[in-house]
Amino acid sequence: MNLVNILNENLIKVPLTSTTKTDVLVEMVDILADGKNWDATQKAQVLKAVEERESLGSTGIGKGICIPHAQSEAIDSICLAVGISKEAIDFDSPDNLKSKLFFLVVAPVSAASAHVEVLATIARSCSSATFRRLLEQSKSSKEVLQLFAE
Amino acid sequence: MSVPFSHILVYIDGSEGSLSAVMYAVLLAKQNNAQLDAMYVVDTRALSELVKAGIFLNSERDEYKNDLHNDAGRYLKHAEKLAKMKGVTINTIKDEGSAHRVVRDYVKEHNIDLLLLGGVSTIRSRRDELNSETDRLVRTVNCPVLLIKDEEEIWDDFDE
Repeated sequence: MNLVNILNENLIKVPLTSTTKTDVLVEMVDILADGKNWDATQKAQVLKAVEERESLGSTGIGKGICIPHAQSEAIDSICLAVGISKEAIDFDSPDNLKSKLFFLVVAPVSAASAHVEVLATIARSCSSATFRRLLEQSKSSKEVLQLFAE
Repeated sequence: MSVPFSHILVYIDGSEGSLSAVMYAVLLAKQNNAQLDAMYVVDTRALSELVKAGIFLNSERDEYKNDLHNDAGRYLKHAEKLAKMKGVTINTIKDEGSAHRVVRDYVKEHNIDLLLLGGVSTIRSRRDELNSETDRLVRTVNCPVLLIKDEEEIWDDFDE
């Protein structure tokens, strides 16, 4: 799965303005809602699903990366938003390190295969320390998109 | 390798392209009076990677695995429907594991003499090239491979 197929500059935000875990989740859902023209109900349902998933266990995976994700019937296709924070945010990650890289993935239940593929692609991409560093240093959404296209 | 082909396998990964490949496989099997198999592999490798990376909880892995199996069932049923429309018998197989390995082994064990693939997207990054299951399959499978493109034309041909 090529992430560039489901990403565009409107779904990437550099820098994020939030400073807490709760606010980051809201801001990331806002990115998707604005980029995908969701109505208020869709946005609320997706945020609820994301927060519910987060309550089961932090989606901070360590090394400064967070991948909040959820399934929701409020949408009909898989969505991805990317946010880069200039200041590291505490996301209860297992390595106790704060995070700057945020990937929000939301998909309908019927898109389970695509959902797994997108999450696995993000995990593989971010396993590279160089890639992570380049993302953290990026100054615009255009730059972030370019990194995924390389 | 036999020509015309006597035992064809089409690999379905849920993409529109792979569904086009099923249509083409049905037409090809009918034309060659060949045995036709369709396979969907539930990617448990990706699920394991996600648990190992800490992205999935164990409970999520089980839940998504169930969803992936449901996806597989849906796509294989669709393949059966397409074959039935043309009066072709199709054997559908659902398996799990690393897709390129499972398909490669199936090809070897069942004397498949042609593998059809669809959904081959334009490579957009070096990472895609390294991680593409379809690419790995093309490179490692032990039989001729037919990559299906021109999906619109195939849909038109199938509808005739």
